[in-house]
Amino acid sequence: MSYEDFLADRPVIVTAALTGGVHGKEANPNVPETPDEIANAAAEAEAAGASVVHLHAREPNGERSFSTARFQEIADAVRARTDDVILQHSTGGTAAPDELRAQPLRTDPAPEMASLDMGPLNRYDRLTSENTRGLVDDLYDEMVERGIKPELEVFNNGHLNEVYGLLERRELDSPVYTTLIFGPGTLTRPTPQNFLTLVDDLPEDAAFNTLGFGRHQLPFATMGILFGGHVRVGLEDNVYYRRGQLAESNAQLVERVVAVARKLGREVASPSQARDMLGLDA
Amino acid sequence: MTCPLLVYRELPNVDAAEPRAYCTAAEEFVQAMRADICNDRYALEHGRDCEIYRAHADEADE
Repeated sequence: MSYEDFLADRPVIVTAALTGGVHGKEANPNVPETPDEIANAAAEAEAAGASVVHLHAREPNGERSFSTARFQEIADAVRARTDDVILQHSTGGTAAPDELRAQPLRTDPAPEMASLDMGPLNRYDRLTSENTRGLVDDLYDEMVERGIKPELEVFNNGHLNEVYGLLERRELDSPVYTTLIFGPGTLTRPTPQNFLTLVDDLPEDAAFNTLGFGRHQLPFATMGILFGGHVRVGLEDNVYYRRGQLAESNAQLVERVVAVARKLGREVASPSQARDMLGLDA
Repeated sequence: MTCPLLVYRELPNVDAAEPRAYCTAAEEFVQAMRADICNDRYALEHGRDCEIYRAHADEADE
């Protein structure tokens, strides 16, 4: 994908990352945590223009859950409350044992999409989310078995090597869907030059989603829109609307990026258009 | 073993259903991911993995 794709008027797919598994209501009371709150947030985000919702599961006290049962509860609530939005379950989980990481893939029905972290990243001062190649392959294989489209999360430019490595080890359906992630720590340093380098370095025919953490969410989403990519916004990645002002909801962040896309001349994909573009079965 | 610096408290001014993890050394509610370290879940161990505990170990009553 490139600036040519921007000129070609292809619609932009907006993903709303509603809750995450790192921070919660202690960071922003508007972060949805319960199945009911997540389902409401998904419905509002869909109404605002999101065609994909990225889901994590939490216990009633906001702590992380990886269980199929909890994902099932959330997915059922989201499906009951939304019209047609695409569900994307996270398989991320720093420090969680490998056998838990596949649990979110085992709901009935399976999610249409799931995230696949492409390599290691540091958390806090003494933790690393390992995401070994063996785990990547195992999760990928289970996604294929269950008809789930993987979203390849590229936390830094070394992870792009890992994408190429996966392409050598497995035959991925086109388009390969990547998320380019920018921010602090192990993430790609958030500079326009790094954004352009990563976009230029993508496998042929790969599509990309753009994710900037914190204050980088809006500028990197805007760059993603201008360079023919797709965008992810939401309270998982950024709890502020602007400096010093907490976001009121996921939908507020979706509305803003939808307005930017339209202002820049790109239409926003409906869930049905997103399915066509991503090669998902209807 | 759970970190001795961990307590569960209600989040003020938030309609949260259950008490949440609070670090008495950092004097703040902790993130969901860090709560797994506090509770020594999976293979995590607060004495090894939590920089806050390591800096305040002398205050802890294990």
